[in-house]
Amino acid sequence: MDDATVVKTINESLATEFEIDLERMVPEAHLIEDLEFDSLDFVDMVVVLQKAFGVKLRNEPKVREIRLLGDLHKLILEKKRELEQQQSES
Amino acid sequence: MQWVGVVCATIWIVGATAFLTLAGILVFPFLFLALCLAKRWSTVRCTTFLVWVYGRFWLALTWPFTRFERRGLDSAQFDTPSILVLNHLSFFDSFLLGALPDFAATFALRSWPFRMPWFRPFMNLAHYVDMESLAWDEIEIRARECFADGRHLMIFPEGHRSRDGRMGRFHSGAFKLACTLGVPVIPLCIRGTDKLLPPGRFWLAPAKVSLTFLEPILPTAFSGELAHAELRRVVKERILEAYRKDE
Repeated sequence: MDDATVVKTINESLATEFEIDLERMVPEAHLIEDLEFDSLDFVDMVVVLQKAFGVKLRNEPKVREIRLLGDLHKLILEKKRELEQQQSES
Repeated sequence: MQWVGVVCATIWIVGATAFLTLAGILVFPFLFLALCLAKRWSTVRCTTFLVWVYGRFWLALTWPFTRFERRGLDSAQFDTPSILVLNHLSFFDSFLLGALPDFAATFALRSWPFRMPWFRPFMNLAHYVDMESLAWDEIEIRARECFADGRHLMIFPEGHRSRDGRMGRFHSGAFKLACTLGVPVIPLCIRGTDKLLPPGRFWLAPAKVSLTFLEPILPTAFSGELAHAELRRVVKERILEAYRKDE
């Protein structure tokens, strides 16, 4: 899965889960102010993305630092690369 | 001649709401005290009863311009403390509390209504839940207390009224509570209050208003980490379906 596909999958998964128009899923979108995420949504977001990509996010401190959708894209891409590296080493 | 109806409706409904609110605030302490002494109810129960009576009076007073209809109610299903989930179209939606068959209902709302000084004391006395400011653990404790006391919890999952007539996104709070505490969700479909007072307009128009009670949905039918999300989707679909049926 290339980076563009990863970003597309993130946007589509979250848009479906949280009933957000796909046009609003831009990297500059603030998760709380623009996309109206609340604290429960952050928990659900972790579950949705873990299921979609097989990465572990539950105890990831960087999740708390996410403000923009672009930050989330970067974190998932980073976690996905880590996962792929681990898989290739084992 | 339509403007005559609009002007009359505005003067009547705004006047009736202002009069009722002012009169309610003035007589509340006396009625509250009388109820507490005569019925030996808790302060929460006395307040929710008086707020319900206020809602009923509002429905009666605005009757000349709002033809109200309640549909689909099965009183037996309403006996179990439940989460009442409503779509949100207008400022006047909360007055439909008076259309419930039972007064024992508590609102769970966003923070801004708690900032209105003329409503805040009553909201606090009735143990309304601030879904925006309270921590989730505290919300759960307040909801548990509410159900243990035999009250329903009323929630507008959209958080705010629709600005464009489309049903907005449903937030998860109500459904997470239902799944965690194992209480049924009763979807309620409101129609017509947006015609009465469309968002961004001052003038009110005569309107037919209806409140439809739909079949309760048990959270036990859903499982997994995102059970509440599935429940949320089903409840929204049911409300949308009922809303479209009347179009």
